Amino acid sequence: MKQMSHKMKNSLTLLVIAVLIPCIVLGGMVLFEGKFYTWTSLCIAILSCVPFLYLFEQKDTSANELIVLAVLVAVAVAGRFLFALIPGFKPVTAMVILVAIYFGKEAGFVVGSLAAVVSNFYFGQGPWTPFQMFAWGFVGFLAGVLTGLLRRHKACLLLYGAIAGVLFSVIVDINTAMWIDGTFRLSRFVAACISALPFTIEYALSNVLFLLILAKPIGDILQRMKKKYGLFAGVK
Amino acid sequence: MRAFSSYHPSVLLIYFASVLLITMFTTHPLLLAAAFLGGICFCALLERPRVFLHSMLFYIPLFALIALTNPLFSHNGETVLFFLSGNPVTFEAFLYGVAMGAMFVSVLHWFKCCNRIMTSDKMLFLFGEMVPKLSLLLSSALRFVPLFQRQFVKISQTQKAMGMYSQDSYVDKIKSGSNVFQTMLSWSLENAMDTGTSMRARGYGVHKRSSFAVFRFAKRDAVMLALILVLSACTLSGTFVFGEVFAYYPRLSKIQLDASTGTACVAFLILCFLPFLIEMEEKLRWKYYRSKI
Repeated sequence: MKQMSHKMKNSLTLLVIAVLIPCIVLGGMVLFEGKFYTWTSLCIAILSCVPFLYLFEQKDTSANELIVLAVLVAVAVAGRFLFALIPGFKPVTAMVILVAIYFGKEAGFVVGSLAAVVSNFYFGQGPWTPFQMFAWGFVGFLAGVLTGLLRRHKACLLLYGAIAGVLFSVIVDINTAMWIDGTFRLSRFVAACISALPFTIEYALSNVLFLLILAKPIGDILQRMKKKYGLFAGVK
Repeated sequence: MRAFSSYHPSVLLIYFASVLLITMFTTHPLLLAAAFLGGICFCALLERPRVFLHSMLFYIPLFALIALTNPLFSHNGETVLFFLSGNPVTFEAFLYGVAMGAMFVSVLHWFKCCNRIMTSDKMLFLFGEMVPKLSLLLSSALRFVPLFQRQFVKISQTQKAMGMYSQDSYVDKIKSGSNVFQTMLSWSLENAMDTGTSMRARGYGVHKRSSFAVFRFAKRDAVMLALILVLSACTLSGTFVFGEVFAYYPRLSKIQLDASTGTACVAFLILCFLPFLIEMEEKLRWKYYRSKI
């Protein structure tokens, strides 16, 4: 009986994802004709997070793993305050990458996207929240996919850190350009990217620096936790 | 200042969602003006006057920047004002920039109000049932952040007391920061294991999680919810469904004041000023009661 109701709940959720969400997207596209791009991009940013977070919600996660993920999110966010003295030095992206490498791609996505939500409770939620969630989550997920490569070669890890910094900035700049214009215009996007260029470079460099100094010690800490308490046993 | 925020979280969420969605996705100047004024008035009530005025130093240039740069990126429009290095600068593009600037500033203000009123406990109350695991994760993370901040300070003060990293150079700052970060990470992860074990010992995952909530859906919430839904429906049907899309290019549409657009604008104006009016009413009542003492 209990199994049955669980199954029904699952299929109901799938129905929502498969039918209701496309309806909302299409309805909005018709209704908000003048702001077609803004609406679609917002929907894509939110919806691309849904399957990952849904999978995490469905999976069996032990209490220990859950709290470890919460701690990692909080450390990444609180680290922003710790390094506030050093301009442009934000540990979130680097932490997300390291978590993904050692605890797997799902953990990477969850820590990345929730770090965006939590840090925005301090720095202000806005229309950029879904974009940041997606950007950090995606950076984490991709790091989890490339885990073998990133763990073996330090140079690859550093390169990935730099690319991740640029990727994050570009995704958030798409958002900025689109919100200012109401539509997507390449020249505005390029202008937004160029005006953000110093920050992007600073961000990419700080990621590289952080990974250069802390990849080994933090990796050891995470690896040790995994071995000692048998966390995330499915991940190599 | 808690007359408006004392409504049920679901009512508040629907209110902010409808105002924000309409503001973000309309191009109609009257609706944008309503959202702009409503957002700024409500924000001025929530913030301290000095903080509010100070934030204007950021928003006014932002508005000007968006309004003035739009003609540089967009050369649509019929009324050419002048040519700038061969490219036409048009009146329509400037007006579109003004509209988008107003939209941007009002969305930022509405989000600011939303941040003030939709606190994390309300969000967790609303979504906790739907995504129990994620909301547990989120609420623990939100609790850990201030705890870790304090711990960061403790660890770095200890280091300073031991005479480490005392120089004021960039290298020393990074060294000290990364050292504190590592210490913090292993300390908190070990603590997390205790928390996890304790949660398991108390039966986490055996049953569906129950939660305590202080929010009750009362009659006045139902009334408010109905009002919000009716007003948003009027706005949506009047402008988005039956009305024409307000076009800026190639020529500015005329603002038509027919029945449907008129109703929509009035409805949205009331919707945007709803929290402002509620707070003002509360204020006046407070003044009145005090005057009787």
